[in-house]
Amino acid sequence: MTAPFSRPMEIGSPRRKVTVMQGDACASADPAVEYTTILGSCVATALYDPVAKIGGLNHFLLAEPAGSRNETVVDEHFGVYLMELLINEMLALGAKKSRLKARLYGGANMHVHLKRIGSDNAAFARAFLAREGIALVHEDLEGQNARRINFKPASGQVRCTTTVAAAAPPVAPVIQAKSREERGDVELF
Amino acid sequence: MSRNIRILTVDDSPSMRALLRHSLTEQGVEVEQAEDGEIALSWLASNEVDLVITDINMPNLDGFGLIEELRASARHAERPILVLSTESSAEKKQRARNAGATGWIVKPFDAEKLAVAVRRVIH
Repeated sequence: MTAPFSRPMEIGSPRRKVTVMQGDACASADPAVEYTTILGSCVATALYDPVAKIGGLNHFLLAEPAGSRNETVVDEHFGVYLMELLINEMLALGAKKSRLKARLYGGANMHVHLKRIGSDNAAFARAFLAREGIALVHEDLEGQNARRINFKPASGQVRCTTTVAAAAPPVAPVIQAKSREERGDVELF
Repeated sequence: MSRNIRILTVDDSPSMRALLRHSLTEQGVEVEQAEDGEIALSWLASNEVDLVITDINMPNLDGFGLIEELRASARHAERPILVLSTESSAEKKQRARNAGATGWIVKPFDAEKLAVAVRRVIH
């Protein structure tokens, strides 16, 4: 299992762009940090605590095509894990769960033969936030375009621009597949 | 697993509680749930379970605190306690071990591996 993805804070450092890859979650209170990611069918959750001025971003792909062309399998365990990882990163920096505001991006249905993948990712993200009582203040989900996200975690400011489909990462849930055999490892003391 | 196994899961995330309830119920386990260590402690004051499965990062009383409190009481001194956490650092595991945890499971959990671990720690 890969370790959590915390990154050191560097107050006063020059502007630092950090690419958030699929399967990644990170949080920061550093005004110099800007998270960036490109989304096709994947969904990114931007969380922000406006009181503590701490923001975090994750990037996930849960659904993958099943046997037939209109079926997908949603790996909810991995989704809940990546959401919890993001929330824990923020709590560790001093955020409060009750203050978190969420923005959701991505979930495009970019190919006809994979048409439900983006929507399934989006549906998971909306349902997760509703269950956890985290306010969804903005969403830019589904449709057919890839998106580029720029998120400044210390201010909560998000810029979402549509981009060419070719710029989006491949649809295979890479990290999820890699971690599947290692997941849930049990160590008895 | 037989019907009479009863497990308390402690996790502040409703999503994680739902995944655990689904997975353990499918194994024939009776599942009780608490939202944090404090609620778990007060529930355990008047209820019996075969196993406690607890998260670490929780409000009010976290997983480490819950394990320490349980181990301080004679009633819970021998009760199996498994930690289920996104954390996987050696330092955190050692802290749980020192507090008296029985084992550590890394999230996202695998239903089959969890079922095997439950069988191994419940005698």
